[in-house]
Amino acid sequence: MNRWLDRGITLLLLALLGWAGWSMLHWLLLGADWSVVTTNLPLYAVGSFPADQRWRPLLWMAALITLTLLTLVGPKHGWLRRWLPLFWIVMAPLGLWFLAGGLGLLPVGTRSWGGLTLTLLLTGGSGALALPLGILLALGRRSDLPVLRWSSAAYIELMRAVPLIAVLFFGQLLIPLFLPPGLEINRVLRALVAFALFAAAYIAEDVRGGLQAIPPTQREAAAVLGLSPRQSLQLVVLPQALRVALPSLTNQAVGLLQNTSLMAILGLVELLGISRSLLANPAFIGRYLEVYLWLAAVYWLACTAMALLARHLEVQLDPARSAS
Amino acid sequence: MTVAIRATDLVKSYSQGVRALDGVTLEVNSGEVLVVMGPSGSGKSTLIRTFNGLETLDGGALDVLGVSLDATHGERQVLAIRKRVGMVFQQFNLFPHLSILDNITLAPIKVQQRAKASAEQRAMELLDQMGIREQAYKYPAQLSGGQQQRVAIARALALDPEVMLFDEPTSALDPERVKEVLDAMRQLAKGGMTMVVVTHELSFAREVADRVMFMDRGQVVETSDPETFFSNAREERSRRFLNQMQH
Ligand SMILES: Nc1ncnc2c1ncn2[C@@H]1O[C@H](COP(=O)(O)OP(=O)(O)OP(=O)(O)O)[C@@H](O)[C@H]1O
Ligand SMILES: [Mg+2]
Repeated sequence: MNRWLDRGITLLLLALLGWAGWSMLHWLLLGADWSVVTTNLPLYAVGSFPADQRWRPLLWMAALITLTLLTLVGPKHGWLRRWLPLFWIVMAPLGLWFLAGGLGLLPVGTRSWGGLTLTLLLTGGSGALALPLGILLALGRRSDLPVLRWSSAAYIELMRAVPLIAVLFFGQLLIPLFLPPGLEINRVLRALVAFALFAAAYIAEDVRGGLQAIPPTQREAAAVLGLSPRQSLQLVVLPQALRVALPSLTNQAVGLLQNTSLMAILGLVELLGISRSLLANPAFIGRYLEVYLWLAAVYWLACTAMALLARHLEVQLDPARSAS
Repeated sequence: MTVAIRATDLVKSYSQGVRALDGVTLEVNSGEVLVVMGPSGSGKSTLIRTFNGLETLDGGALDVLGVSLDATHGERQVLAIRKRVGMVFQQFNLFPHLSILDNITLAPIKVQQRAKASAEQRAMELLDQMGIREQAYKYPAQLSGGQQQRVAIARALALDPEVMLFDEPTSALDPERVKEVLDAMRQLAKGGMTMVVVTHELSFAREVADRVMFMDRGQVVETSDPETFFSNAREERSRRFLNQMQH
């Protein structure tokens, strides 16, 4: 009796899947019109960056892709491997310089920044800012100084209680108030900073979890060898804590990338912003499915690359990996 | 003969009013091996942890290598002493994220500012001495307990300490691994190192100790030379403890 029910359910599910697959294929082959994507590839890549300066964002993204490939499948030893961390660290400032110009490059206003370049820059830049800030907050939360401990805890709890979109709006309005008059920072930088301030609270909690996982005897062993509390933290406790926190930090990084799409609401034309503006164009009216499928594929690719990089880092930092 | 550690009437109590140290007085001479024995909770760990400032005191006077570590000591004294006093724990406490070689060279490089090459050369000598030279590039998790404890001893020795403290260094080891660690400690004692060793290894105490100190409830019950202690202990409490140990 039960077997017949099982078979019935299986058949029904297969039929549903087949029908969905067939309609999808039918639409892809006959209904879809990919011109909205193919004719706008430059927009998706670099936004409305001046045509004669497009090499700058393109070069930066090419460097990013090269670096990713080198890290994942490049040579396992040698000088290149040793310099990789440094290359990664300079990527965010380099991207900012390439887009903004100055120092010998033609300045380009933030209104012309956009597309995948902007998405990646927002992710990388806010991540690079949020990680050290998050570590400091986590350390502050465990500090012996009550003032430091309370203010860190208050900051973390406040940020985690407020939705990201609210933080982003506040960032646009409030950050200029904290700056000395005359000094103005652009919209993208404001968004990036607000984003980092938000992400830091979550990173702090992940790092705190990592710190808690390190037994106090490690600190003791370091102290007994004459290491100062600061050396003990830097050389013994933090490296281990970050290793423990790495899987959750990866989650944060992927979340960061996806949340950059909220910036579209602030009028930044990153991937989602570009898509929305294209859909508003009469020439591409109604091409929602194509645009969002394409968008999903691009995000998926970027997230997968990040997950692979994180996995690679985890293996690299595994203390029990076979010595070589 | 110079005195390495002089403790007078040490008092230490934890929050619940337990007196972990209740008036401990002792002297350790340079080049001497003092073995500390006693039942669980008698204050052995607490005592030797005061010798390098891991525990603070509530009363009494403590002088380690000419530096005062009494209740009022400051951070500076503690750091000065830790560079001259090595310590080995029951649970090894190696740094799992560093290779064996890096575990040993970390403090010489960062605390003593020694050149990397000379620190590594010294580390290899010490590993040789401990009989585990071929483990230098592995990580702690890849070593047996006995090997890890010998790395921990090498790590402490790398700072060229004048005194070595051992807190039950073989209690976490498989029985067949105990000997290799005790042999390393024997060798160290022969070389004239000043050592304070908390242990339950009777044969080690009998053979290596210059004096055995027996503690109970935070107090020193008796201090004797090993022969007297094991065959003819003065105090009833020591004899009862030894009886239990031998069964
Ligand atoms: N951190 C602490 N907080 C509160 N009480 C403690 C603490 N450490 C030790 N004690 C107490 O102090 C007393 C002495 O402890 P200690 O660890 O020095 O004994 P021990 O002789 O080393 O014992 P064992 O052989 O079990 O290692 C015990 O009563 C113990 O419960
Ligand atoms: Mg103990």
